This record gives sequence, C-alpha cells and structure tokens, in this order.
Amino acid sequence: MKNNGKYIVGLIILILVLVLGAGIIIVNRSSTARRIQVVYIPKARDDANDFWTSLLKGAQMAANEYDVDLTILAPDSEQDFEAQVRYIDEAIAMNPNAILLSPSSKSEITEAANRIVVAGIRLVLIDSELDQNLQSIVVETDNVAAGRKMGEFILAHLPENPVIGVVSHVKSSSTALERYQGLCEGLGDEKEHIVGTVYCDSNYEKAYNRTKTLLEEHPDINILVGLNEYSAIGAGKAVRDLGLSDSILMVGFDSSIEEVQMLEEGVFNAIVVQKPFNMGYLGVENTVLLLRGEILPEMVDSGSELITKENMYTDENQKFLFPFLD
Amino acid sequence: MGGERKSPLRILSRFRTIRGAMIFSYMAITLVALLIFLLFSLNYTERTILENSESYTIQLVEQVNGDIDSYISYMENIMDIVTNNPELSDYLFDRMEHIMMRERIQEQFVTLMDARSDICNIAVFAKNGRTLINRGTDTRNPYVDLASMPWYQDTMEAEGKAVISASHVQNAIEGKYQWVITLSKGLLNPETHEVDGIFFVDMNYSSIQELCTNVNLGSKSYLFIVGKKGKIIYHPKQQLLYSGMKTELIDEVLENGTGNFLTSQNGRRQLYSVFKSDKTGWSVVGVSDVLEFMKNRSEIQFFYLLIALCLGVLSLLLALWLSGEITKPVKELEQSMKNVQKGEFDKALISPEGCNEITSLTHSFNIMTEKIQNLMAENVREQKQKRKSELQALQAQINPHFLYNTLDSIIWMAESGKNEEVVQMTSALAKLLRQSISNEDEIVTVEREIEYTRNYLAIQKLRYRDQLEYIIDIDEEVLHRKIVKLVIQPLVENAIYHGIKYLDGKGMILILGEIRDGKVVITIRDNGVGMDEETLKHILEKKPEPKEKQRKKTSHVGVYNVQNRLQLYYGKEYGLVYESMPGMGTGVSVIIPAEEGEES
Repeated sequence: MKNNGKYIVGLIILILVLVLGAGIIIVNRSSTARRIQVVYIPKARDDANDFWTSLLKGAQMAANEYDVDLTILAPDSEQDFEAQVRYIDEAIAMNPNAILLSPSSKSEITEAANRIVVAGIRLVLIDSELDQNLQSIVVETDNVAAGRKMGEFILAHLPENPVIGVVSHVKSSSTALERYQGLCEGLGDEKEHIVGTVYCDSNYEKAYNRTKTLLEEHPDINILVGLNEYSAIGAGKAVRDLGLSDSILMVGFDSSIEEVQMLEEGVFNAIVVQKPFNMGYLGVENTVLLLRGEILPEMVDSGSELITKENMYTDENQKFLFPFLD
Repeated sequence: MGGERKSPLRILSRFRTIRGAMIFSYMAITLVALLIFLLFSLNYTERTILENSESYTIQLVEQVNGDIDSYISYMENIMDIVTNNPELSDYLFDRMEHIMMRERIQEQFVTLMDARSDICNIAVFAKNGRTLINRGTDTRNPYVDLASMPWYQDTMEAEGKAVISASHVQNAIEGKYQWVITLSKGLLNPETHEVDGIFFVDMNYSSIQELCTNVNLGSKSYLFIVGKKGKIIYHPKQQLLYSGMKTELIDEVLENGTGNFLTSQNGRRQLYSVFKSDKTGWSVVGVSDVLEFMKNRSEIQFFYLLIALCLGVLSLLLALWLSGEITKPVKELEQSMKNVQKGEFDKALISPEGCNEITSLTHSFNIMTEKIQNLMAENVREQKQKRKSELQALQAQINPHFLYNTLDSIIWMAESGKNEEVVQMTSALAKLLRQSISNEDEIVTVEREIEYTRNYLAIQKLRYRDQLEYIIDIDEEVLHRKIVKLVIQPLVENAIYHGIKYLDGKGMILILGEIRDGKVVITIRDNGVGMDEETLKHILEKKPEPKEKQRKKTSHVGVYNVQNRLQLYYGKEYGLVYESMPGMGTGVSVIIPAEEGEES
C-alpha cells in the first residue's frame, strides 16, 4: 500500500505538471495566433493625395481596433500596373489571411489577383473592381449612387436649354463607367442632352485641355460634370479661365483644397465626395468579419455625399472635405 | 468479513477501503474550500484592479484637463495682451487708419507667431473692413461670409467675453484650411459701445490632439473632449462618429459630469472617466477597456490557480500520509483477523498503541481471540473425551451379550457332562475377558487383535460345533502393525450372526491379512447368506431399523461403530469396504495405514 501510494502521488504530480505545461503553451499560442495578418495594396501612396492618405488612415484605425497586423504595399503611381502585380506576388509570398487590393486596372491585374485566390488567400477589393468576380467582398463607393446624386442635383437646378458635357477619367475604368451610368439615371430623360464626353486619363493638364476643346466644340454647353478629382479640377480651371463660371452649372467629384476653393468661389455648384476614410475602415473591418466566418453582402457601400457651398462647413461635411492629415 | 454490506446511503460502502474514503473526503473538503477561496480572491482582485484603474484613469483625465486649461489660459493671456492694447481699438475704430499703429500691431502678431508654432492664425477683423492677419501676407477668403460661421456668431453674441470654439476648419483666410480651435473675443467700439470687430487666435487642432494622445491609457483606450453643448472638440474616431459608424455616449457623459461610470457596449465593458473643466466647460473623457485592465488578471488568475494546484497536491500528499497512519491499526487488525480466520492463532495477537476506538477494538479482539482459542482447545478435549467414552460404550455393549450366551453354553455343556469342552470354553472366555479388561490402550498390534478374535472364534466354534470352521492367515509383517482396538472381533461377530447363522450347511470364516499398496488390508470373509444390493448399500450407515430391533441393532451399530472409529482415527480414505451377493457370502476389508507398532 505504501509503495502504491507513492506511485499514485508521482503520477498525480506528473499529470499536473503536464496539464500546466500544456495550458501555458496553449495560452501563449492563442495569444500570438489570434492576430490576423492582412496586406493592403492600394493604387498608390501619395502624401499629396488626400484620397489615398485618408483611406489608409481609415484602414489603419480599423486594424488597430480589431488587432490586425496590416502591411501596406503601395506603388508610387496609380498607373503603375506592373508595380501592383509585383506587390501582389510579394503579398502572396507573405501568406497573410487576406489581401486587400485596390486594382489600378480592371483587366491588367486580374491574372495576378487570380493567383491570390488560387493560393487560398481571401481577396477583398477596395474602391475598384476587376473584370472577373474573384473577390470575397468589395468595399467601394456605390459609384452608380454617387453618379445619381450628381444627376439629381443637375435635374433640380436645370437651366433652360440644357446642354451637358462630361469630363471623365479613364475610359475602361469601372468607376468612370458606373458614375456615368448613375449620372444618366439621375438625369432621367435629360440625359439625351449630353453632347460629349472627354477622357483625361487622370491628368490635370489633359483634363484642362480637353475641356477647353470640348467647350470650343460645343459652346452651348451650360452643364459640366467632372467624374473624378483630376477631371473636375481640370475642367474647373478651364471654365474659370474661360470666364464661364457663372453661366455653367458645374458638378465635381472628390475633394481637394483646390476643389474646395472652387466650390467656395462658385466655380462648382456642388461636388460629390466619397468617404475614403470610411472605405479603408470598412475594408479592414469587413475583412475581419469575413475571416471570422460571418456572412456578408458581396458589396459594401462606403457612401458618398453631395456637398454644396451652403452646407460645406457643417460638422459632418467639413470632416469629409478636410480629413485630419498628420 | 461480514461487515461490508452494500448500503447506498453510506459513503464508506462506496469505497473499497476506509483509506480511500478518507482520502476522498479530505480532498473533497480541501477542494471545495480552495475553490471558494479562489473565487472570492479572484473576484476581490478584479474589484481592486477596477478600483485602481478608475482612480488612475480619473487622475490622468484630470491631468489632461489641467494641461488643456493651462494651455487655454496661456492663449487667453496672449489674447488679453493684444486686445488690452489701446492701440488696437484706436487703429480699428478711429476715423483715420494709422499705418504706424497697424505696423506695430502687425509686428506684435509676428512675434507671437514666431514664439508659438501652435498658433495657426491670429487676426482682427473690424466691421469697417480693417483687418490684421498673421504676418500681414495672408488675406481674407473673399468667398466666405464669416457671419454664417458658428464660432463667429457665438463670439458676437458673447458681447466682449472670450469664447472658445469647438474644433472646426478655419476658412476665414484664403488658401488655408486648417483644423483649429478658435479663441475669440468681440471688440467694442469705444464710440458706439457696440461690438464692431473680432479678434481671434486659432490654435492648431493637433496641439490639443497631442495633449490627448500623449496620455498612455492603453491600446484599446482613448481620450476625447466634448464641449458644453455636446459638440465634440476632439475625438480620435471623430471621422467614424460623423459617418455614423460609431456612436459615443455624449449624453451620458454630459449627464454624469465629473466622475466614473461603467458601460457595456457590444459586449465590451468600458470605463468612462469624465472630468469637466470649469474654465472651458469642456469635459475630458477617458474611455478605457475594462478587459485591458484585466490583462494582468489572467496572470493573477494563473498564479492563484498555480497556488491552488500546489495546495491541492500538498493536501493530497497529506491526506495520503495521514489516512495511511490512521488506518494502519485497522489494517493490522484486519490482517490479524485474517490470520484468525485461517486458524493461525499464534499470529493473531497484536499490541495496541494509544487509547482510541481502534485500540479498544484491538484490545477486545485480543481478548476475544484468546477466549476462542481456549474454547477451541476445550472443544478438542471434549471431542477426545467423547470418542473415548463412545469406545468404552462399544466395549461395554459387546461384553455382556456375548458373556451371557457363552455362559449359557457352558452351563449347557456342563449339564451334558462335556467336561473337556467346558474347560476349553471357559479358558477361552477367560483369555478373552482378560484381554478386554487388561489393556486400556486404544491402539493395539494386529497380532493382539487377532489373538483376541481367535479366542472369540474358539468360543463360538465350541458353541456351534461343526457348524463353524475358521482359518486365520495373516502375513508376518502385518502382525506388528498397529490397529484400533476391537475392530476385527465385531466384524467376525457380525459375519457369524448375520451370515452363517442362517446357513444350512457348514459355516466358514476366513481372516486374511496383508500389506497392499502401503496399506494394511485385513479381510474377513464368510460363506453365509450374503446381502442384496440394497442392504449392502446401507450397511455402513448409522440407521437403526425399527423392525427386528433386537437383532439388527447389535450388528449394525457394531459395523457403524467400527467404521466410525476407523475413520475418526485414520481419516475418511480409510475404513471398511464390503462386498457381497445374496447366497455368495460376504467379505469385509479393513483398510488402515501401515503403521509400525512397538510392542511395549
């Protein structure tokens, strides 16, 4: 009996030690393994560009809130497809839980994006879509809805004999197409007064020049729409330089200091702003929810806001126009 | 061992050993106590942590509030320096614009802006259009109507008192759109006594932000500032709040005033620590995640658990040792009882120590064992006595019956004048009687037993004359073996009275003795009437039959007695073996171990 007792005690101590050891290991593991690894590849990182800076801020805030390890791999220029493809492969090699991507082209990136999916990594698109449905979810401005806001504003302030000109950015880009579609929806029957569309390839100078050309070709244009920041600024400058600010109803898209000034000045009657901060935040937040296995809609709208001179300094709107950038 | 009766109500009966029951009970008590203690201490720890965190957070919040107050005071001082300068109102409201004054005031502005990088703008606007902005190089934003700005409206309404705005984008100066907090004051026109101008200092929003973010509350915690009317001055997630993606408990903060309160949002417990400043009317709010304070809790919990485990192990060891010690006398008692059970009384006695229940139990057991031992010895003695008296009874049973018959024969022979036969018979009888009386020993040699039988047969032969013949043939080596007294003679008697007596012709008795397989076998054979199978079967049983009582009694009792005695002496494997068939005579073999006898 005495020997037996000693065995039992030994056994019990052994078991306790094992259980404790296992417990410590599990606790340690779970605390390190819980963090989600996410890579975000935006179109570009440019401190002068409020849109991307704000979007990255939102993404980082969500990452901080949800304990996500967020890595950002950003090309210098929005037109650099190759850099984005390179970064995608680099991100795949890191084997994160998910890759967030803002494709700079609808078609050029598709092949690389497919590699993400093939590697078994979740793909979440932010801001722009691809020509194939590879993503788990896409977080973007509902560009059709944003376009519709522009169209509806024009409709509400429609001058006599409307003649509409559109300055768009990149012909094949999904945002350009969808905003145009929304614009037409908002205009309703008035869309037939659109007399011309020019593309600026997201370049201020091209936008300026092509707007001038458009106005020369159609001097009767009294409504002008810019479908992104480059288009809007270029067109706005052209209108101001031609001294047509008062006679042309202008609606711009996105915001920058210049655009805000033009809105104050009265060059723009309204601008539709996206909510890049929300987009970045929602992008990361929804990725986390997706990885947790929650069922989400395929498309998450980060929202847009139509801002006029009158309401630009309300508490809500001044945040959208002037994001905190430090 | 009849003590272990199954009873579902008794704890002890569920265990194989008392020790097991004791260990179980100890452990149950210890674990329950440990668990309760653990729960209480964990709860207490949690409360203490929470209390400490509360006071820590409110201290931090108070400190931030103090920093902000002193920062605003500093700015107010700057404002006072500028606005109390009589040159300012002279310059603004005099009919003539004095360029010299303007330059002096402008210089003051430059000095202030050089000294303080956190001043974004410093400016005066008079309703008459005279303005002084920053370093003199900036101009008013021509497209902005200041009167529509809330901060401007508030300042005008305050009638010369200092007003501090919420955070906003300052759009009054062309080309500059900065997030600022504006400290402003309406300027009285000394002539009209109306507010005809405004002075304002824009403090960089990030300087307030810095004051709030420099505070180390924890990664999940944050500070925000809410203004008098519930407008947010600073919030790290302001953008989310305005987008409606987050909500903040502003109403609760304003309602509670300075102090702490706990909330639970989306399953997260949060501690709100509010400090309201009298100076600015702002409330600085620290929001901290309760779980984050409790980070250490898991460590403490782990530590407590470890201690509890150690204590558990320790108490288990103690329980094992103590229960072993306590049950040791019981074990000894049990072992001793087992020995008694086996009949090993010498190993049974144990020496009790101390004076508890088990000791007295042991003591009683010892006494009991001793008594049993005595009783058993007595029993054995009695048995022996009984057997001896049975034997004596048997001897007494044979003698008078036979004696009477023999004496009767002698009388008969004497009457017939057969002197010689009378002599023979009388001398045989005399030998027989002597033999039976003289020796008290129970065990005799085979030779003696045969001698006794021979005398008996001699008497019987005389009685039955030519009716009885006998032959005795015993091997030499058998003669010296030992045998229980009075075995062969009763069997011979039996053969005569039940076999030969009913025979018409001459009766024959054959006595043979030999050693077979190490055993002494003495066979008495007769050529009498024999027995049927039924009788043969019951011949060795003690069964006095009610009929023919007189006759059969002697024989049957005799055979049974012989068998009984043989088996008592030599064991069950020895005794009598009968073989018989009706009309073919009977044979009975006495089988006993071959024991060497010593003639004394």
